[in-house]
Amino acid sequence: MSKPSFRPSKRATQNRAAALVLVILLLFGCGATVVVNTVRQVVDLFTSEAPAAPTPTFTWAPDSAVLTAAVSPVMAPVLRELAEEFNRQQRRTPDGKNMQVEIVTYEPEEMVRAAQLRPPFQAISPDSSLWLDRLEQLWQSSFMEQGREGESAIPIGQRRIGAQQRYAVSPIVLAAWEDVARQLGWPDAPVRWQDVQRRAKEDPDFKWSHPNTNHASGLLAVLAEFYAGAGVTRGLTVELATRPDVLEYVKAVEGTVRFYGENEDRVVERLEQEGRNFLDLFVAQERVVIDWNRRHSGERLIAIYPAEGTLWTDHPLALLELGQLEEELAVTANQRRTFQAFAEFLTAEPAQRRLLAAGYRPADLSIPLESEGSPFAGTDAVDWRQPQTTLQMPPAEVVDVVRDYWYYTKRPTNVYLVVDTSGSMEGAKLTATKRALKAFLAQIRGDRDRVGIIEFGSGLKDYSLLAPLDDPTRRRLENMIDRMEAGGGTALIDAVYAAVATLQEENQPDAINAVVVMTDGLENESARRLSDLRVLLRSNPSLPIVIFTIGFGRDADEAALTEIARIGGGQFRRADEADIEELYRIISTYF
Amino acid sequence: MNRTRIIFVSIIAATLLIIGLTVLLTNQGGGSAGASLTVQRPDVVSIRILTSLPIEPWVRNAAEQFNAEKRTIDGAPIQVQIEAVDGLTALGRWDRNEYGALLNGQTPETLTDEERKALEHFPVAWIPDSRYLVELANASYKERLGRDVFLTDGEYRARPIAISLFAWGLYESRARVLERKFGEINWRTIHDAAIAAGGWPELGGEAAWGFFKLVVPNPARNVGGLAAMIAAAGEYYGRTNISVEDVVNPEFQKWLKELMGAVTDFSSSTAYTAEDFALFGYSVGDGGQLLESDLLQNMQGIITRWEDPLSIYYPQYLTWFDFPFSVWVGPETTALQKNAALEFQRYLLGDEQQKAALAYGLRPANPNIAVDAAPESLFTKWAERGVLSIVPRTTAMRSPDRDTLLALLRWFDLNVKR
Repeated sequence: MSKPSFRPSKRATQNRAAALVLVILLLFGCGATVVVNTVRQVVDLFTSEAPAAPTPTFTWAPDSAVLTAAVSPVMAPVLRELAEEFNRQQRRTPDGKNMQVEIVTYEPEEMVRAAQLRPPFQAISPDSSLWLDRLEQLWQSSFMEQGREGESAIPIGQRRIGAQQRYAVSPIVLAAWEDVARQLGWPDAPVRWQDVQRRAKEDPDFKWSHPNTNHASGLLAVLAEFYAGAGVTRGLTVELATRPDVLEYVKAVEGTVRFYGENEDRVVERLEQEGRNFLDLFVAQERVVIDWNRRHSGERLIAIYPAEGTLWTDHPLALLELGQLEEELAVTANQRRTFQAFAEFLTAEPAQRRLLAAGYRPADLSIPLESEGSPFAGTDAVDWRQPQTTLQMPPAEVVDVVRDYWYYTKRPTNVYLVVDTSGSMEGAKLTATKRALKAFLAQIRGDRDRVGIIEFGSGLKDYSLLAPLDDPTRRRLENMIDRMEAGGGTALIDAVYAAVATLQEENQPDAINAVVVMTDGLENESARRLSDLRVLLRSNPSLPIVIFTIGFGRDADEAALTEIARIGGGQFRRADEADIEELYRIISTYF
Repeated sequence: MNRTRIIFVSIIAATLLIIGLTVLLTNQGGGSAGASLTVQRPDVVSIRILTSLPIEPWVRNAAEQFNAEKRTIDGAPIQVQIEAVDGLTALGRWDRNEYGALLNGQTPETLTDEERKALEHFPVAWIPDSRYLVELANASYKERLGRDVFLTDGEYRARPIAISLFAWGLYESRARVLERKFGEINWRTIHDAAIAAGGWPELGGEAAWGFFKLVVPNPARNVGGLAAMIAAAGEYYGRTNISVEDVVNPEFQKWLKELMGAVTDFSSSTAYTAEDFALFGYSVGDGGQLLESDLLQNMQGIITRWEDPLSIYYPQYLTWFDFPFSVWVGPETTALQKNAALEFQRYLLGDEQQKAALAYGLRPANPNIAVDAAPESLFTKWAERGVLSIVPRTTAMRSPDRDTLLALLRWFDLNVKR
C-alpha cells in the first residue's frame, strides 16, 4: 500500500490555481470598486464646481394640512382672529391631519411679486382682485416667454390662481370730517372727485391724503385724477393718460397731497395721535369710517361716494396653483381641503356677521345691511345703497401707464437716509442694512425725487448730498453703501441734526422733506441734544420735515427714537435682520 | 469537499446571492415593464368629474347624496369627486393635455408605477357647459390620437343633464327707463344705450347712475362671455350661424368694441359673473345677457342687498347650455370607473335629482319633469320677475365652429383685454 501522497496532482494544482485567480480577481474587483469610488469622491470633493447656492425653497410635508395665507395689512387683524377661531375647531382631513391656517402679512405689490416664484405661502388675500389679475398677467407673460403658448390653440387656462372666494367687500370712499363734508356739499348735493381736487388746489390749508398706487384706494384716487384731467369718466386710453395737459393736471393735484403712505390704517393711527387737524379728508375703504365712528365719540367721519364713480375692495381668498416650477412644491390635497374648509368657514354666517361688525359688507347676500345691529343701520355717515356707479377700470396697459406716470407727477421728495454703522453693526446687521438701503433706492422712481445718505458712527463717517436719482447717482450711492464699514460709537442726534439742517438749507416747501434714520444702539457721542433738534425743527414752520426712525435689534434706544419721530411728525418702527429690508421698502411708499 | 473548495464555493455563492438580491431590489424600486399587470377589484371606485361652474352646486350636492347612499358597482362602493372648472378653461387644459392623457403608442402597461399612479387622478368624466366644447376637445385629440375621446353615440355618448338659456337681466329701475326709451330689450338697443355720450340722463335715467354699464363675463374665465358675443353677433347679422368672416368684418368689430366699451371692469371680474352682479349691484352693471339659472339663483340676494330686483327678458336669438355628461373613453380610466360614471349620470337624470335642479334655476333634461314640478322651483318663485316656463320664440343660435370661436377669443384678447 502506497503511502498516501499529500502532493496534489497536476490537474488539481491547476484547478486550485484557477480558483485562486478567480477569488483574487473577485476580491480585487470589489477592492478596486471601493478604491475607485472613494478616490472619485475625494477627487470630486476638491475638483468639482461648488454647488450653486440653494434657491430658498419653502417645504411642507406631502400630507400637510397647514395652509399659509398671505393677507394684506388692512385685513390681516380680522382674518388672523378668524383663523385662530377656525384652528380652535380642530377640523380633521380624511387621513386625520389637523387643518390649520396661518396668516402672514404682505403688502399687495410684494404679495404678487412673491407669489410668482416658490412662495412661502399657498394662498393669498390681497385687498382687491386687481392684484390677482396682475399676478395672472405676469404669470402668463412668463408662460409665453418660455414659448409654451405655442403648444395650445386655446389661449386660456394657464393660471397661477386656482379656486377663489370673496368673503367681504367695501367700496372706496372719500372719508371726510363732517364739517368738511358739508362744505363740499354733502348730503344735499353729489360730491365729485373734481370738487375735492379743486378745493385742494384753491385752499392751501386743505389737507388730504391717499395711499400710494400699490394699494387699491391709492390707485383709484390717482385714476380718478387722470379721468378728471382727461375730462372723461370712461374710455381712458394711453394716449389720453399721457397727454401733456392731463399730466399737468395730475401733477397739480398731487402737489396738494399732504403725504402718501403704506395704507389707511396708518392714516388712522396718525389721526389718533395728532387729532382732527392732521387731515381734512383721505381716501379709504368705507369700513374705516364705520370703525372710526364706532371707536370715537367726537366729530364724525362721513363716507362720501364720489359722483363720477368709485372702485371696490373685494378681498378675495385665492389658492395658488403651485408646483409648476422646478423645485416648487405643489399644494397638497390636504392643504386644498383646508383652503376649502376655511373658505366655507369665512362665508358661513358667524364669520360673515363678524366681518359686518368690523365694517365690511359681507359676501353673503342673505345678510341685510340695514338690519338692526348692523353698523349701516341708523346712520347717515355711510349709505348701503351707495355707490350708484363705479369708474371704469381701464385695460392693464393703461393702468400700468397711470402707475408709472404717477411717479413723475406726484409730489417730489427730498429724503436723507441716516445710517448708523457703529461697531455694534458689525456682521449680519450691516449686511442686512446694505441690502435694505439698496431696496429703498430701487423703490424711489420719480425723476424729481432726490436722495442723500449720511453714514455715522462716533461722528460723520461719509455722506452724499441730495441728488436726483438718475443712473449715475444710483451707482454712486450704491458704491457708498458697499463701502460702509462698522466701527466707532453712536452720535445719533448729531447725524439727524445735520440731515435736517441740510434740508432746511435746501428750503423746498413744495417737496416732501424727510429723514429716515436707523440705529441699533444708544446715543453716546453727540455734541448736540434732543432739545437742539426740536428748536431746529421749529425754526421754519413753513417747511415741515418728517422724521422716520428705525430701531434695529433689541438694544436700540427706543425712547430716544420715539421722541425724535414724535417731534419730527413721523413714525418709529422696530426691525431686525429678517424684516429691515421690508421696512425700508414700506417707508419708501410714503414718498 | 476540502476546505479550500468549501471556501471557494461559499465565495461564489455569496457573490451570486449579492448580485441576485441587487437585481431583485433594483427591479422593485423602479421597474417598469416587468411589473404585474393583474387588475384587482379596488376597495373603492373613485371617480373624478370635471364640472362646469353653473351646475356645480347642484351636481356637488347630488354627489354628496350619491356617496352617502353608498352605491356600488361590481360590489365596490363608488365615490364621486366633483371638481369645478369653467368649460373653456377645461378645454384649454385638454388641448394642452395637462390632465395627462396617454400619447399615441403608450398604454398603461408601458408606464412606470409612478406614472400609473398619476393616472389614478385622471378625470373619468367631464360636464362642460355646452356640447360644442366637447366637439372641440375631440377635434384636438383627433389630431393627436386619431380618434374621439368623448363619444357622441353608443352607451358612453355625451348626454345633456340640464339646460339653461341666456336671458337679459336688468335692474328694474334701469329696465323701466330703457323700455320707455327703446321699447324692446335686445343687443341693438343695448348698444344704443352703451354709446349714449350723455349716459343715463340722455336715456331718461338719473344722473347718479353715470353711464350705462353692461355686464359681460370675461371669456378667459367664464365661457358665458363667449356665448354673449356669439348671441350679439347673431342679432347683429340677423341670423343663427356665425362664421369667421362675420367675426373679422371691420364694421361688426367696431360695433362689438363699442358694446364692450360699456363694461366697467373685466380685470377683476371672476368666473362667477352673476354673483359679482349681485354683490356689487347696479354700481358695476345695469344689466347683461347672462345664464338664466345664474340670474335666478342670485335674485333673492339682489333684492336683499340692493332693494332693486332684476327684470328678466328673453332675446330673439336663443343661446343655451346643455351641460353634456361626457365619459372619457380612453385607456386612462378603467371599465369599472367608466361604468361608475354612467351610474352617476343615470342618478343625475333620475326624477329626484332633476326636480332638485329646479331649485338651482336649471331646466330639467329629463322630459318627464316640468319646470314647476317642485315647490322650490325658482321658475315658480320668480315668475313675476319675467322668467318664463316655456319660452315662446324658438330661433336658436347654432354652435359656432372652432375657427370662429378662436377668432372671437383672439379679437377679445387684442381689442378688449389688452
